[in-house]
Amino acid sequence: MTGTDGGDPWDVVRSLPTGRRVEISDPRGPTWTGTTVPRQEMSGERIVQLKLDSGYNVGVRVDPSFQVRLIGDDPREERKRAPGPTAAPAPVDDAPWVALLTTGGTIASRVDYETGGVRPVREEREILEFYPELGTRGRVRIVPVLDRLSEDITPSDWEALASRVVGVFGEGAQGVVVAHGTDTLAFTASALSFLLQDLPGPVVLVGAQRSPDRPSSDGPSNLAAGVEVARSGLLGEVVVVMHAALSDGRYAIHRGTWVRKMHSSRRDAFRSRNGPPLGFVDATGIHFEQPVRPAGAGPPRADGPLDPHGGLLWFYPGLTPTQAERFADELRGLVLAGTGLGHVGAAHLEWIRRAIGAGKVVAMTTQCLEGNVDPFVYATGRELQRAGVLYLGDLLPEAAYTKLLWALGHATDPRAVEALLLSDVAGEFQWRHVAGDEA
Amino acid sequence: MKAGLEVHQQLATGKLFCDCPSELSETVEGSFARRLRSASGENRSVDPATEFQASRGLLFRYEVSDASCLVDLDEEPPHPINPAALDVALTLALLLDARPVDEIAVMRKIVVDGSNTSGFQRTALVAVDGHLDLDGRRYAIDSICLEEDAARKVREADGEVTYRLDRLGIPLVEVATGPDITSGAEARAVAEEIGALVRATGKARRGIGTIREDVNVSTEGGRRIEIKGVQELRKIQEYVDREVGRQQVLLEVRAELKRRGAVAPAETPVDVTDRLASVSSGPLARSGRHAGSVLALRLPGFGGLLRAPSGSDERLGRELADQARAVGPKGLLHSDELPAFGVEDREVKDLRAVLELGPDDAFVLVTHPDRTRAELALRRVAARAADAIEGVPGETRDPLPDGRTRYSRPLPGRERMYPETDLPPIPITPEHLARLGARLPERPSVTRERVARDTGLARELVLQLVGGGHIGPFEELVRRGHAPGLVARLLVQDVPAVPRAEGEPEPEFPIARLDAVLTAEEAGAFAKEGIPAVLRELAGGAATVDAAAGKAGLSGLTPEELERLIDRVVDENGAMVAERGDAAFSPLMGDVMHEVRGRRDGQEVAAALRRAIARRRADPAP
Repeated sequence: MTGTDGGDPWDVVRSLPTGRRVEISDPRGPTWTGTTVPRQEMSGERIVQLKLDSGYNVGVRVDPSFQVRLIGDDPREERKRAPGPTAAPAPVDDAPWVALLTTGGTIASRVDYETGGVRPVREEREILEFYPELGTRGRVRIVPVLDRLSEDITPSDWEALASRVVGVFGEGAQGVVVAHGTDTLAFTASALSFLLQDLPGPVVLVGAQRSPDRPSSDGPSNLAAGVEVARSGLLGEVVVVMHAALSDGRYAIHRGTWVRKMHSSRRDAFRSRNGPPLGFVDATGIHFEQPVRPAGAGPPRADGPLDPHGGLLWFYPGLTPTQAERFADELRGLVLAGTGLGHVGAAHLEWIRRAIGAGKVVAMTTQCLEGNVDPFVYATGRELQRAGVLYLGDLLPEAAYTKLLWALGHATDPRAVEALLLSDVAGEFQWRHVAGDEA
Repeated sequence: MKAGLEVHQQLATGKLFCDCPSELSETVEGSFARRLRSASGENRSVDPATEFQASRGLLFRYEVSDASCLVDLDEEPPHPINPAALDVALTLALLLDARPVDEIAVMRKIVVDGSNTSGFQRTALVAVDGHLDLDGRRYAIDSICLEEDAARKVREADGEVTYRLDRLGIPLVEVATGPDITSGAEARAVAEEIGALVRATGKARRGIGTIREDVNVSTEGGRRIEIKGVQELRKIQEYVDREVGRQQVLLEVRAELKRRGAVAPAETPVDVTDRLASVSSGPLARSGRHAGSVLALRLPGFGGLLRAPSGSDERLGRELADQARAVGPKGLLHSDELPAFGVEDREVKDLRAVLELGPDDAFVLVTHPDRTRAELALRRVAARAADAIEGVPGETRDPLPDGRTRYSRPLPGRERMYPETDLPPIPITPEHLARLGARLPERPSVTRERVARDTGLARELVLQLVGGGHIGPFEELVRRGHAPGLVARLLVQDVPAVPRAEGEPEPEFPIARLDAVLTAEEAGAFAKEGIPAVLRELAGGAATVDAAAGKAGLSGLTPEELERLIDRVVDENGAMVAERGDAAFSPLMGDVMHEVRGRRDGQEVAAALRRAIARRRADPAP
């Protein structure tokens, strides 16, 4: 079959399904023989991407003078039927188990080596194929909860996750691991910290900074370390377990409300602010360096709801009071990430007073991300505090925001919301900041 | 015999996917450690080469130097491809009449030996379907690729391999020929010509290890063997010739195995530790094997075929041992070389009886403190023995300094490659190609002809000038009025000979500085014999040519001083001159040159000395 009996060969090529073997001949040049791969979204006009027999992909511009010949399906189809690696050993029903909740982040996705496409992994069998070591120390039961990138996750997803966590504890899980995309992992960790009460075991969020389609991915070892912590029963709170450094082999255990993604790509992007992590996991076991919240007798509760009518606003020079007031308009409460000790420009005092007068809650955190806010050091702080702005100590802006949604969900009176915001719900405040290694 | 070459040349354009310099560095600022795993693909087929390497479960340590950034550490996505490196590859495509692709897709080639922090090497096919004409023959150029160089291995200990990251990411342009080469000598000539082409672009890195060749060899009846990473061009010929010899021996072994009707050996090992309890020396001695078990494998039909046939150094036994070594054991013992290595004749007879072997059968012995390693080794030995019945298995081999090669890993399959999803496709436009086409460097063949014609320099010197990429500085210095012979010697001999620390690149001298050296020599400040010393001082930090000559002890000998020095030497040896006449010239020349040490030209010294001897003979001193 050719595409040149009067027609445009591009029409033939563009309509080919993935995986067809094709020969494209340039009458003045070479003949390209290869297999069609999915069209690159960023490819140019009339360009077809072919996988050549050498394994290389190339883009060929299909000129109207070219000859196109289909040479059957990819003969390598046959090989794809090869049986997969053996699944995990059959679980003993009463054996202790850890629940692995998946949300669609990149910790568990599978690459199609023919095309480069990536799809999330859903089945237990598949996960164990990637991470065979998970099955060696006990059972891991896969519980798919969400299937979306972490930037698409919303507060209602946090509630859904929380109720699934409670559900699997009810079914007898020793601990829970949540595999999550790293972009908003810290938000989810904070939200779950406030939502989940009376935990009988660890809830561990893990992620991968480097994609699972590369042999160097940090996903497998983060997951293994996370399962280790979840199995340990050593704590009853929400934590994040990720690489502690650029090396494999040492993993930090961060309290869910203290942690933040501090780098866009490094493995050790997750850092506890204002102090060291709770502890570490390495080849010798789990070591705590801070007091942890112990596991309770249960039963756990999903302490919702969250009221999504809360917001987070990063102050910057140039932010006008009109813009800020408009942003606050539909909200019941607002967390400001202010400058330094917790300031916004004096011009903002007016709308803030109006907002608080109208029954909104306005709380202050620092965009420095470390250290306390303090309203008493400078005049602006004193004025903001007099206007009714609530200063939230050393809470990270993200932690304050998720706590606000939780507090708004639990009280209608602004003063009651403020009281909840100031209360210790999940060990989120650190009252003592030490100089640490830099001293 | 048919051979093809892949020539890899490092480029001095800066790294391919980040903004680090393409330079090696001795400044180690820290290190980190990683493990790699083989990711399973959609089609469930893990590439054989990948799986093999991953099975070794190593810890990789990486030394970070000032020539690496987060991209090299696999801590940051790749930056867009280096446009200067891409231009070199496209320029080569045009020089080799190849067809650039319309859109480049950067691929990831899985490599889990740790030499890439990511577990893959980024590589892109830039052009296909070119050709190289050399000495009246045409060689197909199948592909021109652009890829990242790997990290360099600095040491290897038990279960841990240390790499330095400086080399990782340096661009490599890879030119692959078709299987058109018919001899080792031809292979070398083609490799040299491709190297000269890359250097003609002016962007090639210089020095040891900046150009490496992979040689693909297949013989009639054999399969493709890839000898990977030959660094010395002059060795290509030897590797090719010896590989042909190795394949011939293996094909003879196959013929005999077929005649005997040999079949693939069973993989079941037999524990013979107790049978060898009395061995007291050699690799199987109880003290020597850390009390590990000794396992035996039967090889029915292989008797007498594991040793080298007379007149050859190649043997199947070594191929089997290479397989065992790849997974831990130091090697193996096979029945064709026993009794020896502390194993007595009666023990061999006993083993043969226990293993129920006939006269045509062979066995191998392996030991390792970790029994599973020994078992794994024997499974691989059994598989390799089975391959011997089929002939020469396709594989990748490492070149050894003595001209032999050693099994390295299976040939990689195409399953090893998948797209680099972090980089969009790169369009190659006709306008871009036209721009490069308008400023193509001269082809080396044309340059050689022109320089030989214009300068009358010897063919070998012209080859070195052009092949070494020195033609730009050469022509500029000649244009500035320096003698071609002197300039050529300066560039191909004196500059590369400047002493430097191991691993350091050749020193780079700006044209103006070389110009000043030659000018000073021509003005008589020092002789051409003094040039290497002047260069050495300049490389060592001397600020000017004068200062360098001074530090080298080359300045301050005027023609008058030379005359006085010669007169003194002749005076001191008046008796010899009187006795031997002109024949005194040679010994006296030695004495004079020893004192002149490159401060004046040798011919000038000789002439002055001859004059002084003549004067003395005409007017003997009182």
